[in-house]
Amino acid sequence: MVNAKIIVLIAVALVLSVSSCKKEETDIIDQQVNESYQPNAPSNLPAFIDDVDNPLTKEGVKLGRMLFYDKRLSGNNQLSCASCHRQDLAFTDGLALNNIGLSGATLHRSAPALINMAWAKNGLFWDGGSTNLESQAFGPLTSPDEMFQNLFELEAELKAIPMYVKQFNLAFKDGIKSANVAKALAQFQRTLISGNSVYDKYKRKENGAQLTTVELQGMQLVEQKCKSCHSGELFTDNSYHNNGIDSHFNDDLEGTYQGRFRVTFNPFDLGKFKTPSLRNIMLTAPYMHDGRFANIDEVLTHYSSGVKASSTVDQLLYQNNGQLGIPLSSLEREAIKAFLNRLTDQEFITNKNISNPHL
Amino acid sequence: MITSILFSSCKKESTEIFQDTPGKVDVKFDAVFGNQDFALNTDLTTGTKTFKFNKFRYWVSNVVLVKTNGEEYNVPKSYYLLEETSAVAVQDGDYTYPANKRELVELSNIPAGEYKAIKFGIGVESKYNDNLSLQIGELSQLNGMTNVSWMWHTSYIFTAIGGTANENAIAKTIKIETGLNTNYRTVTLNFPQNLSIGSTKSTAIDIKADVAKVLDGIDVMATPIVGAAQASTMTALANNYATKVFSVSLVK
Repeated sequence: MVNAKIIVLIAVALVLSVSSCKKEETDIIDQQVNESYQPNAPSNLPAFIDDVDNPLTKEGVKLGRMLFYDKRLSGNNQLSCASCHRQDLAFTDGLALNNIGLSGATLHRSAPALINMAWAKNGLFWDGGSTNLESQAFGPLTSPDEMFQNLFELEAELKAIPMYVKQFNLAFKDGIKSANVAKALAQFQRTLISGNSVYDKYKRKENGAQLTTVELQGMQLVEQKCKSCHSGELFTDNSYHNNGIDSHFNDDLEGTYQGRFRVTFNPFDLGKFKTPSLRNIMLTAPYMHDGRFANIDEVLTHYSSGVKASSTVDQLLYQNNGQLGIPLSSLEREAIKAFLNRLTDQEFITNKNISNPHL
Repeated sequence: MITSILFSSCKKESTEIFQDTPGKVDVKFDAVFGNQDFALNTDLTTGTKTFKFNKFRYWVSNVVLVKTNGEEYNVPKSYYLLEETSAVAVQDGDYTYPANKRELVELSNIPAGEYKAIKFGIGVESKYNDNLSLQIGELSQLNGMTNVSWMWHTSYIFTAIGGTANENAIAKTIKIETGLNTNYRTVTLNFPQNLSIGSTKSTAIDIKADVAKVLDGIDVMATPIVGAAQASTMTALANNYATKVFSVSLVK
């Protein structure tokens, strides 16, 4: 009889001790359900380094893809992220300045391409006004001139859609929250990896991929004349430069032409903009932060004979015997264009893993 | 045998039973304007200027309580929005944050002991300021204290004062804000006497937040709007918050 009582007490004690530590066990179970996601980064790109605060998970990336292509993310349910970031155009819109946002106002900036965002760790937007993709998402989501989404309504709207209730719970412990919308979008964008152009296959010596003599000449010219800024295998230094498209930087259009100065208020940063990648460059016209150059010829003409002087113009642009500009013969221009065409990644723009999942 | 099973499974909690138990402390941030109580939509005069405010809002973060032996206790997840505000139009009027007055922060689970000072940040430190998706404490995008266009840097507004200022029959609408990582400041306030915190009695720290001191040395008639483009004025405001605005009136 006494023994039985003790056994019961021990059993109760065990139950109590187990229940008091329950929280940790459920955390482990959550992590097991939502397995981490390893993107397939081609070997010639720098190693993929995951975000510490928002690591990629299978379910998070899937959710981000669903949200990226869902028009319900905008205030009038007419616009998705993909409205201005089209896969067939390397996730830009082909326009200089679009006016499809809710206010109908013409934007001051051209929609940037979304290419290899996982390595873009030195600020987003043309002037670096967001430190990471997570914060960046709140810009277009809430701006009256873009998606103008009321974040309270967004949460309510998503909570009414069973597919999202399920997927948010799979992806995040705290389910549907606007912060998790931003996190999921960031995860998906970090899987937009382009590294399978003809150039890449040539570099990796895959399937006997070849570049023609002219394309190889173009590659050499790009290396000599362009790669100080469009550097490495990402073809961007992810930094900010004044490439001489303007010589005056007044605060018209909310400081649009002041570039990174608008964020840092450092006079040294006047007129500096983020270096876009040359990858898929033939898909991402028009060019520059405001889309002022309609095609690549105009860009090459600018660099050879149109660079304007100012106190912050990049010293690397003095490539003409101490004068501004990068002289290019017509043959050199043709070679550069031939090479740039080989940076177009057909697999990237047709990849079914990053296309619209709602179709 | 039973006790050994219980304690070994969750040892951390059980050891504290033999010490003094943690207590609570109410920290009150009482807004004042010089010698007057701060109130919205009321004439408040200092020198030749008369103000009528419609908002006073600021983030208090990373609260630290300092023991008399110098040991510091960091209050976890301590991010609080203190405010006295009329309704705020958020996202260009897409929705409205309701009028609110909040001056009390309740800190619980404070280790028992003798304390001599409190420290806290004004604003949000860079880790969270740079990533709006990392939510902790009361940090949120939904209360009109984040910014995407005001300074072209997606981040938090650290402090915000709004209303009108009048001087010599000239009226100006004022919108005086601080933000940006460089303007994050830490305030350290010593208590007038030591404060014993524990479970046996309720304790309180009363702090005055003087809006007149926020504007000390700022020419609001010349610079009624302060944003990132007014960098030196913003830094002067941040320094006022760090050194002049807050004082402990009472601990009990």
